[in-house]
Amino acid sequence: MSARYGFVIDLDRCTGCGACMMACAAENNVPPAPARATPRTGLTPMLVRKVSNGIEGTARREAFIPIACMHCGNETPCVGVCPQQAVEVDKATGIVMQMPQRCLGCRYCMTACPYHARYFNWWDPAWPVGMEKSLNPGVAVRMRGVVEKCNLCPARLHSAKEKAAAAGKKEIDPADYLPACAEACPTGAILFGNLADKNDPVFSAAHSSDAFRLLARLGTEPKVYYQSKQAWVKALAERDSDRATEAQHA
Amino acid sequence: MKVTRRDLLIGSAGAVAGLALTPVPWKLLNDVSIWTQNFPWIPQPAYGPVETKYSACTLCESGCGIRVRMAEKFPVGVAGVRSHPLTKGALCPLAFAAHQLNWHPRRLREVRHAGRAASWAEAQAAFQKACGEGPIAIVDGRPGRAVSSVFEAFTRKHNGSYQAVLSAESQALAPYADWSGVPVASLGYDLENARTIVSFGAPVLDGWGTPGRFTQLWSERAAGAADPQLRLIQIEPSLSRSAARAWRWVRVREGIEAQLAAGLARVLLEERLVTQPGPMPRLSLAEAAAQTGLAPEAIRDLSHTMMENRPVVVIAADGNPAIAALNVLLGAVATPGGIVRKRGEVQPHVPDDPVPESIRAMLVDSTVPWEFAAQANAEVFRFAAWDGGGDRAGWLLPAPGFLEELTDVPTSPTSALPTYAVAQNLVALPIGVQSAAQFLVKIDPTMPAVEKVIHARCGEIFRSRQGSVYGEHPIAATKVDSAQHLEEQLRKGAVWMGEPPSPGKFRCELKEWPMENRVAPATSWATAWVPPVFPALATKLYQESNLREPPAERRG
Repeated sequence: MSARYGFVIDLDRCTGCGACMMACAAENNVPPAPARATPRTGLTPMLVRKVSNGIEGTARREAFIPIACMHCGNETPCVGVCPQQAVEVDKATGIVMQMPQRCLGCRYCMTACPYHARYFNWWDPAWPVGMEKSLNPGVAVRMRGVVEKCNLCPARLHSAKEKAAAAGKKEIDPADYLPACAEACPTGAILFGNLADKNDPVFSAAHSSDAFRLLARLGTEPKVYYQSKQAWVKALAERDSDRATEAQHA
Repeated sequence: MKVTRRDLLIGSAGAVAGLALTPVPWKLLNDVSIWTQNFPWIPQPAYGPVETKYSACTLCESGCGIRVRMAEKFPVGVAGVRSHPLTKGALCPLAFAAHQLNWHPRRLREVRHAGRAASWAEAQAAFQKACGEGPIAIVDGRPGRAVSSVFEAFTRKHNGSYQAVLSAESQALAPYADWSGVPVASLGYDLENARTIVSFGAPVLDGWGTPGRFTQLWSERAAGAADPQLRLIQIEPSLSRSAARAWRWVRVREGIEAQLAAGLARVLLEERLVTQPGPMPRLSLAEAAAQTGLAPEAIRDLSHTMMENRPVVVIAADGNPAIAALNVLLGAVATPGGIVRKRGEVQPHVPDDPVPESIRAMLVDSTVPWEFAAQANAEVFRFAAWDGGGDRAGWLLPAPGFLEELTDVPTSPTSALPTYAVAQNLVALPIGVQSAAQFLVKIDPTMPAVEKVIHARCGEIFRSRQGSVYGEHPIAATKVDSAQHLEEQLRKGAVWMGEPPSPGKFRCELKEWPMENRVAPATSWATAWVPPVFPALATKLYQESNLREPPAERRG
């Protein structure tokens, strides 16, 4: 049976600590930024954005929205525009896989992505001398000139598959596959699982009345759901990301 | 046969078209793709078997449980440990890249004296000479560790004084220690039984105390609920991370914590909202309102709100005695859900040595915050794993980095239960690096080794037969075979946790209302402890996103 891996992120529980961003970068051998990198040119496959209700004074409220690749399940925008077939939707998992080996760096996919969840590798990946010994052996370092994004920690999925195969099983144990961001979240705000499995906690969470998806009107069927009881947070879901960024800088 | 220009063009076109039908161009494309990924300047991760080790984080005094993935004898990943009884798998953002710190460009690898390279022998001779010439002091950033015993023993024998630099969390508990006579290290917050938490600027959701302990409690009992089981009231001038997530944010002027505490106390006493009498603050409600920027009604409303959902406990960002007095008035001292005394006799002892007016030399441990200013006239021997910049010490001595040193981790300052863990040296110590304890043992070989102190402490815990050991599977301490077995378990990453506190073990009495006001230190980082350097990947937080303010440039 094919899976549909995805997240349900409870925004009311997110404190914006940034542990998910750090854990993601460490797990996936994302390099630290060169001195001239900015939020527009950096590499943040998991990015926590700060948003507000736009009110000044004591009525002001802020929330944090972790944004990674939405792993769109319908008419995946980045897949159709890629001239190199460097983006594929894995039918077995539903994961939208970015393959840097095929990527030309044309950045059509970045333009097509409505969530701005893709990043161009502007610089050669570099770590301070000796620090390459601290890199995760399960993940190859990507070169300059390719696009990167969240692939849902494929090294962890492969590891879970290997473990299942060694045990003579065809299906992985769900407990063996947890992306780094979900594992790192100190408040348990990031729930990960198989959205196609009715027994998985993410299934019921994704179908709760508080669940919503970003830019749902586009019909791309993202596999990242959000939850919040705050009306103003839900209202942000249909705003485009540039306006969300405005709120972030407000 | 005559070959015309037309034949040449047709042939060339045919060759190109034919080549496209063969695997050659595709193979070439594939090879080029692979080749470009293997440019010599693209770092290649190490190959080899990956093994998992468990330990305790030593970045700050919280001592969170960590799971370390090791490849080729080097750590390649850090994650939390879900079975840890206090942190439950949570870590601060920095910890996830802590394994990269040992290769930080500002890592200290050689002894420096007055900015120039020197040797350990010279440093040793200089310190020995200083010990013979006058009083010395040893400054410890995390009292209660095995190495702290070495420092204490050395200072006692060599006419010195042992000084501890307390964290902001420990300082906040200092007034209760002054009033009750109970050591600071024996006090903690029983947050699990509290129903209202009033934070006076403490970053309770942003690294305060043990990362994960309160955030998980808040996540389970408060997050997103209109009428939560656990109410968090954040009193702060700006909308911090904690204020943004709090049930209620009370915006006040900066530096008026004592005045607000006095105003709240006056309402609590005048309207008999508290059962036990207490000294009346000198400040009237109107005066408190004028100074805090709040309306008198707002202060009255806040007092009533605090008492609606009890037990209530107030948390200060620093050692402000007026805020501590509020807890005494609220009856939140020595009661469940308030300030409690930890059970057991294995608490770290913090000596209160008098500071001599003149110190010949001062040895500063690597756990002391980089910004610590040593006594001006003393010759400073500063241990540090990383150079935080500036001219901080006469002698700069390279200390072990992350997971390079065997050390023990005593109870986190805010914990209500005593804990004990051992952080094993998972990484070999680089050449030319040694700890302050090793340095002192070389000067005076009669000093106890850290290993022996840890061994003795494990024996004490074993003999107390209290609490449980949380390893792969939690087991009661009574079921541990021997002290040696306990030590083995702790060295493999298990943590011992004692029994819950019993209420009413101490008393705090207030004779008059304290009016001392102290401004909480402004901090823009997750923890009050600011590391001398940040992991390279911290750029994700402050440079490649706008999530956090960039770390302040260091002076000098």
